[in-house]
Amino acid sequence: MTNSQLLKSGSRQRRLKEGIIGYLFMLPTVIGFTVFIIYPLISSAYYALTEYSGFGKAEFVGLDNFKWMFTKDPTFIKTIQATLLYVVYTVPAVLIFGLLLAVLLNKTMPGIKLFRTIYYLPVVVPAIASLVLWKFIFNPDHGLFNGILASLKLPTSRWLESESAVLPALTIIAIWGCGGQMIVFLSGLQSVPAELYEAAAIDGANSLNKFFHITIPMMTPVLFLQLITGLIGGFQVINPALIVTSGGPNLKTNFLNYQIYMSAFDKREYGYAMALVWVLFVIIMAFTVVVFKVSNSYVYYEAEE
Amino acid sequence: MAGNKQKITDRVRHPLNRAERSSRIVRYVILCIFAVTMILPLLWMVTMSLKKNDTIFVYPPDILPREFNWSNYPIAMAQMHFNKSFAVTLFITVMSVIGQLLSCTLVGYAISRIKFPGRKIWFYLIVGSMMLPGMVGTIPTFMLFSKLKLINTFWPLIIPAFLGAPFYTFLLRQSFMGIPRFFDEAARIDGAGHLTILYKILLPMVKPTLMVIVIMAMQGSWNDYLGPLLYLHKQNLWPLSIAIKQFSSQYAVSWNLFMAGDLLYILPILIVFLLLQKYFMSGLGSLNSAALK
Repeated sequence: MTNSQLLKSGSRQRRLKEGIIGYLFMLPTVIGFTVFIIYPLISSAYYALTEYSGFGKAEFVGLDNFKWMFTKDPTFIKTIQATLLYVVYTVPAVLIFGLLLAVLLNKTMPGIKLFRTIYYLPVVVPAIASLVLWKFIFNPDHGLFNGILASLKLPTSRWLESESAVLPALTIIAIWGCGGQMIVFLSGLQSVPAELYEAAAIDGANSLNKFFHITIPMMTPVLFLQLITGLIGGFQVINPALIVTSGGPNLKTNFLNYQIYMSAFDKREYGYAMALVWVLFVIIMAFTVVVFKVSNSYVYYEAEE
Repeated sequence: MAGNKQKITDRVRHPLNRAERSSRIVRYVILCIFAVTMILPLLWMVTMSLKKNDTIFVYPPDILPREFNWSNYPIAMAQMHFNKSFAVTLFITVMSVIGQLLSCTLVGYAISRIKFPGRKIWFYLIVGSMMLPGMVGTIPTFMLFSKLKLINTFWPLIIPAFLGAPFYTFLLRQSFMGIPRFFDEAARIDGAGHLTILYKILLPMVKPTLMVIVIMAMQGSWNDYLGPLLYLHKQNLWPLSIAIKQFSSQYAVSWNLFMAGDLLYILPILIVFLLLQKYFMSGLGSLNSAALK
């Protein structure tokens, strides 16, 4: 063997060894991915085409689940409506309030850190703890909300028990927790170069000009990311229904994810639940792709040539 | 005289003109309005938790506490079996945090430092799986765990943590990528293996990221409701999230007792937050830097 051959086989051996060590380190993800992603994807694709109660054998029924969903299921349209409305109500509202608070906080003034802590506090409170708390706050007879409204001589409402007020009520809860979005915006605002504002000030721009012509364009990448994560999260909303409204009143909060949960774990219709999961999946993917396409022409990336 | 002097030097130190000062005042006023609105629900909860049974429904509602019936707290604790649920929550939380730290550091290291075939693909798979709706995994995983007869055990809530959450793995990978290679190369020349490099050299340099992961994993387990709802059906296995929900819908529970229980559930995580604020927020801040890449 020549010297170079020796070197080559040595490096091949080393590469093999690195490969084995690499996969040993990767073991958690390799197992996790197989068990919690690949297996669920395959099995849910299969079960979506069956009728299965969790006991005995799953019965293959082809596309019957989907046929029933789109033509006969009386709750399906209302479920989609509720989910879409929740997204339309909460996602923009939370982004707007998050950005507003971030802009207010983006100034070095004494005490500003205290305000940041206060605004972030609701995000720290566990969802269960805050949702049950809000259930009491929105109690029509003795709750805080109607109490304040009444003492201000404003009209009160049945809130969570009212078909027309339940989604606005859930939106108020969502806005209360906009501190998470606020922090992301704030760290985005802090990376906007100060020279831009100084240059604009020299040109005589006022605060509104600066906000719409510097802040917003510079924030588009962050806005875009927040919109995507907001949509993905919003379409998967389940906690308010699970903990506060049980999907009511009159299915107004019967969100898709909650319907999936109920189909699977309450009615034991696993096959139908999996079919619904695929609908949710397709909706999320479709919206994400559309937002990506549309935003391509609006999002400003600094590194772009 | 002395007071006057003080004022003058203050003005010199902060040369704010009139317009700036009035815009500052406007900003403070708006900030305060928002702050009061945000804190009102929590304040009301504290006030309610300290009330006597017969003053719960006074009108108009009290915002600030006027009476201090601290005895509501031990009563609430007894009624919702607080101690037992607290122990369960603590156990699941600690195990999950340990699991995430162990698994995510190994995987994050492999993806950023070891040259093995397919590591790019694995990186994209990890990032891609963050987009997948959780429910896709929930039902098949539930069926799997029930076939394995693991319902009413803690395993279904702990095992996944040892298999590395994609987001934390991603965070660690990003942090490792930011450390220059010559640190590991110097150690390798001294004869250090991968584990030594990871634990002795790299991990001490990414402490902030590790803190973010600890906090997010802790919050995740402390707040988890769906997981325990699916897997823990016996009352003696309930964590606090289930216990508090059950307590809120108990027929005879009075509002003051519920609020006391709810506060006790929030309190531990609130204390951790006030101590480690910076890390709570920087985990989210890293989302922003992800947007810029």
